Amino acid sequence: MNLAVEVAGIRLKNPLVAASGTFGYGVEYQGLIDLATLGGIVSKGLYLEPRDGAPIPRIVETPAGLLNAIGLQGIGIHAFVRDVLPRLRNHDTALLVNVCGDTVEEYAEVARVCDGAPGIAALEINISCPNVKQGGMAFGGDPRMTHAVVAAVRAATRLPVIPKLSPNVADITVFARAAEDAGADALSCINTLLGLSIDVETRLPRLGFGTGGLSGPAIRPVAVRMAWQAARAVGIPVIGVGGIASAQDALEFLVAGCHAVQIGTANFVDPGIYERVLAELVGYLERHGKSDIREIVGTLDYPGEAKESTSEPRERKIGGTA
Amino acid sequence: MPANRTSSLVGREGLGGPYFLLTFLHPETAREARPGQFVMIKAGVSAEPPLPRPFSILEASPERETFALFVKTIGPGSTALCSLPLGGVAQCLGPLGRPFTRPPDGTGAVLVGGGYGIAPFSFLGAELSRHGGAVRLFYGGRARADLPLLARLRQRLDVVPATEDGSVGAFGRVTAPLEAHLDEAKGPQRLYACGPEAMMHAVARIAAARQLEAEVSLDPWMGCGVGTCLGCVVRVQGQDDTRWKYRCACTEGPVFDAASVVWPGDTESRARHSAGGEA
Repeated sequence: MNLAVEVAGIRLKNPLVAASGTFGYGVEYQGLIDLATLGGIVSKGLYLEPRDGAPIPRIVETPAGLLNAIGLQGIGIHAFVRDVLPRLRNHDTALLVNVCGDTVEEYAEVARVCDGAPGIAALEINISCPNVKQGGMAFGGDPRMTHAVVAAVRAATRLPVIPKLSPNVADITVFARAAEDAGADALSCINTLLGLSIDVETRLPRLGFGTGGLSGPAIRPVAVRMAWQAARAVGIPVIGVGGIASAQDALEFLVAGCHAVQIGTANFVDPGIYERVLAELVGYLERHGKSDIREIVGTLDYPGEAKESTSEPRERKIGGTA
Repeated sequence: MPANRTSSLVGREGLGGPYFLLTFLHPETAREARPGQFVMIKAGVSAEPPLPRPFSILEASPERETFALFVKTIGPGSTALCSLPLGGVAQCLGPLGRPFTRPPDGTGAVLVGGGYGIAPFSFLGAELSRHGGAVRLFYGGRARADLPLLARLRQRLDVVPATEDGSVGAFGRVTAPLEAHLDEAKGPQRLYACGPEAMMHAVARIAAARQLEAEVSLDPWMGCGVGTCLGCVVRVQGQDDTRWKYRCACTEGPVFDAASVVWPGDTESRARHSAGGEA
């Protein structure tokens, strides 16, 4: 049974990657789970310098979701390369760094630092964090800025470049193409959805920053839809992310055309989720008579679209009416 | 070393109204837990609620490989946990966090628990008593029904209850009998508080006014329990710090030196703190 996939020129031993901001720098889980069960880890977002992050409270639970405004608190890329990276190299998993910046130049500079650091497999470019006043979503909400950031990072590094796109746009395909044109090797789709939760007793936002980013199962259908749209719009691979908590959820993204997926909020319930999801994936492949996870990628049979179908139409399950 | 594993419910006792005592099988927590530490736990694997909850460890039994939680059903997380059938499974990560510290020999321990904040003090009181120290526990709540552990705690500790309606113990807030006790106490005392934020803040003020050491166990929303999400940070200013810093309640707490905590209202309003650096 093959579970390995290739994305942006890097080989992942399986398609499950820990999403940025939900897995720290990886080292926090050393000894607690076997990091080798992960296809990869995306670090917490890193700027050039350390950051204090957003005011408290920073997280609040919403229906099937988590609304957060952490504000990219972090140790900065230099401390990461100096103190954290050496502790991660011994683990058999791909390490991706989530690159942040207040300016185009800062993104490029962080990428340059990563370029010279051994042990980093690829860079995920954070142009979609909704919880910072500069950078973040400002770059991900304007296709010209998306192009500028990705092109600058592209020029600054030999590492694969994977922009993480924002769902807080009308048409994600415009941004997917802008990133591809600028030299991106793959895309991560999607970051959190901009949300607002209000305490009606105090009439204050429930988060200190005000608005926040929504994650968790609540956003999964939106994420699957946008990852699917992006995957159809570009020739580079898409990594699907948003509300995955089971193999079933991961498979939705793979069927929709993603080559790999990221698990985020579900890490908080069970950081050992990878082992369980992998076992479920193998079970799924066996049930469907497949020997390679890549055979599932992009197999969505979408209504009204012509497809080179070799078999009779599958019997459709009618959801919700059973 | 904490362990992340499924954990079955092996005991459930209703304590009246919304209060339950739940016992889970979890060898690592049973063996290694210290008073003041917590577990991150969630019943089942459903999408609701999406986050696990932190609970202080009430008791740990290395022999039985179990730990117990005192839970009040106040939302979907606690309700789902209390609805687990015997043998039902929760995902549990623990033991986590910085425990309470023991006072030096000869220093009395004064424990102040409010509402379900009483949870860590059965464990702490038992340990301090075992080491031969003087322990007094103040147990406050709205009414008698909110002090469901009173009889149990009295079997092994010197407990002073207080209720806001006077239905048991002293009438009013728990801080009044606490201050009366401190007025008369001989020798140095160290305070320990866990409960509503206003109560812990009041205990911190009392300790500061009397130049007593105090530890508080803070209870913000938590995501991960291990310092990765940075969602549970609290404002803390150590003696050597020139300004407050955000500290993870999960890994650098939940127990903090009360004098180091920057309480709401201690500084300007929350809205004006757009970043830590402005303080």
